[in-house]
Amino acid sequence: MVGLLVETKLYRPRSRQGLVERPRLLQKDGAGLTLVSAPAGFGKTTLVSAWAAENAAWVSLEASDQEPVTFWTYVLTALERAAPGVAEGALAVLQSGTPPIETVLAVVLNELSVLPDQVDLVLDDYHLADGLEISRGMTYLLDHLPPQLHILISTRADPALPLARLRSRGELVEVRAADLRFTLDEVHAYLNDVTGLGLDAKAVATLEERTEGWIAALGLAALSLQGRSDAAGFIDGFAGDDRYVVDYLVDEVLDRQPAPVRRFLLETSVVDGLTGPLCDAVTGQPGGRAMLESLERRNLFVVPLDDRRQWYRYHHLFADVLRARLLAERSDITDLHRRAAQWYGETGDTVAAVRHSVAAGDVDHAADLIELAVPHLQRERREATILRWLDVIPDELVRRRPVLAIGFVGALMAGNQFQGVEQRIQDIERQLAGPVDALVVVDPQELDRLPGAIETYRAALCLIAGDPAGTIDHAADAIRLAVEGDDLTTSAASALSGLASWAGGDIEAAHRGYAAGAEGLERIGHIADVLGCSITLADLEITQGHLRQAQATFERALKLAGEEKLRGTSDMYVGLSQLAWERNDLGLAADYLRRSEDLDADLPQNPYRWRVAMARIREAEGDLDTALELLDAAIRVYVGDFSPTVRPLTAVRARLLIARGELVAAQEWADSLPIGDSYLHEYEHVTLARLMIAQHRDCAGLLERLRAATENGGRTGTLIEILVLQALAARDPAVLERALTIAEPEGYVRTFIAEGAPMMSLLSTLQRRRPDWAYPRTLLDRRTQVREPVAPQSLLDPLSDREIDVLRLLTSELDGPSIARELVVSLNTVRTHTKHIYTKLGVNSRRAAVRRAHQLGLLKITR
Amino acid sequence: MDHDAAWYDIRLQGRLDPRWAAWFDGMTLTTHSDGTTVIHGRVADQAALHGLLQRLRDLGLPLLSVDRHIQNPGD
Repeated sequence: MVGLLVETKLYRPRSRQGLVERPRLLQKDGAGLTLVSAPAGFGKTTLVSAWAAENAAWVSLEASDQEPVTFWTYVLTALERAAPGVAEGALAVLQSGTPPIETVLAVVLNELSVLPDQVDLVLDDYHLADGLEISRGMTYLLDHLPPQLHILISTRADPALPLARLRSRGELVEVRAADLRFTLDEVHAYLNDVTGLGLDAKAVATLEERTEGWIAALGLAALSLQGRSDAAGFIDGFAGDDRYVVDYLVDEVLDRQPAPVRRFLLETSVVDGLTGPLCDAVTGQPGGRAMLESLERRNLFVVPLDDRRQWYRYHHLFADVLRARLLAERSDITDLHRRAAQWYGETGDTVAAVRHSVAAGDVDHAADLIELAVPHLQRERREATILRWLDVIPDELVRRRPVLAIGFVGALMAGNQFQGVEQRIQDIERQLAGPVDALVVVDPQELDRLPGAIETYRAALCLIAGDPAGTIDHAADAIRLAVEGDDLTTSAASALSGLASWAGGDIEAAHRGYAAGAEGLERIGHIADVLGCSITLADLEITQGHLRQAQATFERALKLAGEEKLRGTSDMYVGLSQLAWERNDLGLAADYLRRSEDLDADLPQNPYRWRVAMARIREAEGDLDTALELLDAAIRVYVGDFSPTVRPLTAVRARLLIARGELVAAQEWADSLPIGDSYLHEYEHVTLARLMIAQHRDCAGLLERLRAATENGGRTGTLIEILVLQALAARDPAVLERALTIAEPEGYVRTFIAEGAPMMSLLSTLQRRRPDWAYPRTLLDRRTQVREPVAPQSLLDPLSDREIDVLRLLTSELDGPSIARELVVSLNTVRTHTKHIYTKLGVNSRRAAVRRAHQLGLLKITR
Repeated sequence: MDHDAAWYDIRLQGRLDPRWAAWFDGMTLTTHSDGTTVIHGRVADQAALHGLLQRLRDLGLPLLSVDRHIQNPGD
């Protein structure tokens, strides 16, 4: 997960005054990928900026974007801003942990392929991010590129993408150094029309020859010529020298600057981004902001990074030359880095502070900074940042710093890198066993937390290795060793223990562990995590048959979240919807789902949970086709989490197949079931029993085994369902009576009435036997209540039949061209329909349109 | 083949001032009368070599050749 986005990276450079028009380069068009590949200073960014549409999705890449999650977060965010709604779903999937990149990109491609408008995606300085992992995603994107998306890449080195294939298909436009070099006419236009130097043809030709049309060099030459009385003399001197062009010219320009400006340029070249206060700190002089503005006015090396004159950077090429000169001229460079580190440290940019501390040779200080930043970065789920520092801090230093070492352990585990973790933990234990004064620790209180933290990580290692007993043991040790008030350790250990108990079917212990975890997290203010825990807690409570407690858990979590729209708030409403559905209040259940959608504060699992909940409602309304479509969609968008998969979607789907009478398809599901007796397969076994009842096969043995297991395990919610099945299988009102007795206090309705006519006849028998018992009668009454049919379309501007056809296909996996083929129309027609559908439904994405359609019941099959 | 440290000669088109030596991690720079510059020195491993080449790329200096020597020819 990436923390805050750096806004300047998504800033599209404004086109500057005084550019040479270059129509010859802009004529090429109509391909999916435009590649502008040339060395530094060839005007790539300027060209791409002139080329891309005004609202283009723009990303200025940096070396940190080699990390795929960071790279795609920026790319998707830029796309989302350029075409709102298009990348929202993909961003949610991306943030759900570590999904394969193809899964993430399929979601955004699904939206792009029906997008009514064009969108340009600019990846500036792509060479900084290029690498195996980025190439993989980019290649997938290019292989599935919809006509609506045009990608522009500027780079200093050809990217590792299938360029030859794109070239042969005519899908690649290339602009290379030879194209970008200024021609003699352009040099003339630049030096005379734009900069107004008034040079004669011979002087222009000399400069063109010496610079070979290299734009950066021509810019520097123009700077050197300004205000010079002997232009001819300068040009002769330049032409007669064979030094590296930029070196020569920067010397010329620098030597003509007043001493303070020259000093400022050299000293501030050590930092990547320039802003007034930072420059003041590095140079130890005031006036940095005014200096930067003056440099910008005089077009001297700086590039603005925003519209507010706050952040600048040096042009990459000049920054290198300035740094090389600084290195050659000054011996106090480490002081400059140290002062930069201090400024960044004070402004809270730990990443930059660490980088400059290391450059200053002050690795100890860098280690201090990291040690202090770890808890905050962990809270923000930015473990990837911590991992990048592993290579920066030498091992012998980590071996003296146990708190730093445990921070790295946590980051490695969060990044699913478990190899060598046990070794690192043992190293830390050895450190702690040695003399205390040999240890380096910034915050001594953190040292006391280590024994508990170590056992927590061991518990997590056991859980991952599939050793629930080990998990529970280590978690208990962690809780015992945790110091007073260390809620983070106790809650993490409790939750781990809870997860291990759950996987083993011990629901009560699981609930205890999770409840303790949630309480601890609440005490230390990790409310977003409390919301996450609440889903698990309520899930356990529903399994225990404690519907009212589950209701209270969701309501309490919502109250905690307050007005804040914390991530996970939407998921609380999906949970409430499920409970309303069980009480057979389908209107309220649908209403909760609408609220969930409007909130847009989803956990990554929300897309599938929402669809499952909506499918339940549709099934209850008798619309089994839509329910099946929704479940198929849920399977497509499924994203797992740490919890054991106790209700696999394939089994949920199999139950619907049974309800639809599709027993052959349901049997196919059953044939593919893995043989396993553990609690984890209980839902599947109950599903199997349902199938056998539908097939009129004897399943009394299976049901009896399940009954005993759920009853012993305290899984009362499941027990009720099994008793219902036993009652149905044996047509035995006495068994039903038992189920009703257990279910009555919690107000179950759907578990009974969903079983249809056979259940109704059993309920009637029971009612005759016990006429004074209200509960069975209420259930019979509920069954006969007819739900108000949904108005055909509640839209002000209803969709046309054709639009309904398109909408139906939007719910499928088909991309734009396939939808067009299916309907025998052009892609443009599909895009026009999509545009109208979005407008009428008041949405801006395919994903939102599909949800709204299900909500309004627009896709009911009327045939 | 040994993939670790080795001595390299990297030849560039153009004359690069010797003061760039520090920028290239203390390698020596020799300019020649044919208008080329040779950067000579010990490179720790392949990653370091690519880092060096990247620095040259970033300056826009045309690369002519890269030669590897097992031993320092100056020894």
